[in-house]
Amino acid sequence: RMVPVRWSRYNPSYLEPEVNKELYQKPLEELTEEEREKVDLKAVRPIKAAPPTVSSSVFSDPMISKFTNMMMKSGNKVLARSLMSQTLEAIKRKQLEKYHKAPENEKETIECNPYVIFHQALKNCQPIIGLSNITRGGKTYQVPVPLKDNRKRFLAMKWLITECRENKHRRMLMPEKLSKELLLAYNNEGPIIKKKHVLHKMAEANRAYAHFRWW
Amino acid sequence: TLRLIYTTTAVQRKNVGASGPEKYTDAFIKKQIEEFNLGKRHLANMMGEDPETFTQEDIDRAIAYLFPSGLFDKQARPMMKHPNEVFPEQRKIQWGEDGRPFHFLFYTGKQSYYSLMHETYEKLLNVEKHQDQLIGQGLPLQKEKRNLSGSRWLTKIELEEMLLEKLSDDDYLRFIQLIQKLVALPCADIEEKYIQKFCKEVPVQLQKVLIEPLQYDERGVAFSTGEGKRKTARATAVVYDNGTGKITVNGIDILHYFPVLQDREQLLFPFQFLDRIGKHDMVCTVSGGGRSAQAGAIRLASAKALRSFVTEREVEFMRQAGLLTVDPRVKERKKPGQEGSRRKFTWKKR
Repeated sequence: RMVPVRWSRYNPSYLEPEVNKELYQKPLEELTEEEREKVDLKAVRPIKAAPPTVSSSVFSDPMISKFTNMMMKSGNKVLARSLMSQTLEAIKRKQLEKYHKAPENEKETIECNPYVIFHQALKNCQPIIGLSNITRGGKTYQVPVPLKDNRKRFLAMKWLITECRENKHRRMLMPEKLSKELLLAYNNEGPIIKKKHVLHKMAEANRAYAHFRWW
Repeated sequence: TLRLIYTTTAVQRKNVGASGPEKYTDAFIKKQIEEFNLGKRHLANMMGEDPETFTQEDIDRAIAYLFPSGLFDKQARPMMKHPNEVFPEQRKIQWGEDGRPFHFLFYTGKQSYYSLMHETYEKLLNVEKHQDQLIGQGLPLQKEKRNLSGSRWLTKIELEEMLLEKLSDDDYLRFIQLIQKLVALPCADIEEKYIQKFCKEVPVQLQKVLIEPLQYDERGVAFSTGEGKRKTARATAVVYDNGTGKITVNGIDILHYFPVLQDREQLLFPFQFLDRIGKHDMVCTVSGGGRSAQAGAIRLASAKALRSFVTEREVEFMRQAGLLTVDPRVKERKKPGQEGSRRKFTWKKR
């Protein structure tokens, strides 16, 4: 008798839902071979229900929801969501201030959209290689290893959150500190970018052990 | 990953290939079949029905009538079934009188599985040879795609029943990989008959969901109802046409009932997906569950109600967006010996 290990309430034949409206408005001719196969498969198989965090409106963004979930403590999504919206508001305010103070020729270079700033900042924070512990002959070596996309995004978000929770002034609130860090990361400055560079340097220093990796 | 919970009774014995003296001989089973047929005719006679056209359902009904039983376990009640269903299929003895086995792969332990793998690989090599011949002659390779959507491979249990041998998960996966490799080759049409043995038709869309037509109330406004549920919340929604986009829940406006933005987003999700935000009015009732569960239930109810207003193509799009499926996730039960459903008690060394 075998027992389910890490199960889900859905049958394994259920597929993930696709919420983006624009993909449905594309006519059939424009799709590639693989996409046509996917469409055929979707027409036959049952599909899971859309989770409550996801919506087809322009305001829902998968990266932002992931970040809010990581910021959430003991299931308090309301608080996390409000902190996130306050952060985005704070970024917008700071950028608008800068925009109004800047001279005419620089006004076009200043980015005011907080979502764009968030995405760019995260991309700047993502490390390219990481280190992993491999034990050979009793000794553990730190071996440089290429990271997957998910892992990069996770590390960038984790560093942002830990940075904002620890290295701040006692009375400074989370949205303020987060907006500051995001703006610094957008300009490739700040402690998180420094952490990323330190990791890259460590990986470069341990280049000699790169052949220990077998995957 | 999901691992199977049950196995058939025929295969649960450990060494099916090397089992002892046969429990049911061929002659015995033949005798049982004769007795069954005779008994069937007697029963038909008793019930006053025609012995020629006496089906299994009639047998079951007759037995339930003649031998009523109040036992709870259905398997324990008196039954009369064809001997092939009662006596599970068994392998005959695999070796002759001198002790030498018949099959050349007997000593591997899983002779039918390995012989199956050998056969499939032989077919693969055949297809490759045929392909090479076609390339040599310069003819184009046929690339007619098999309709993958309507069929599925045999499950592990079905394969076990076919081979009368116990398989492990790894064995089954290897077999599926091999046969998928065979199917992926362009000239696999030659071995179509062999592949059909391992395919099963999936009853595609057995339940063609009936979309209810629009109803009209006293003022002539079209409306439709829908029901939805999520966790413990149950909701009913009535969507009216020619509206302003007002939504009322249990007599209260949504701004007051759902102070959280996420819930309101969920309520508007179906309307936003169909680009009909300001066109419909909605009145809903909901009970049970928590705030997020109620929002999910109303979302499902409104999506179901909107099906009547929208073309079939858009209904299909809604289904693919996940708006029309009931979310089966519920709170997992707490297990004994653990503090919660997953959390274990604090481990103390002493």
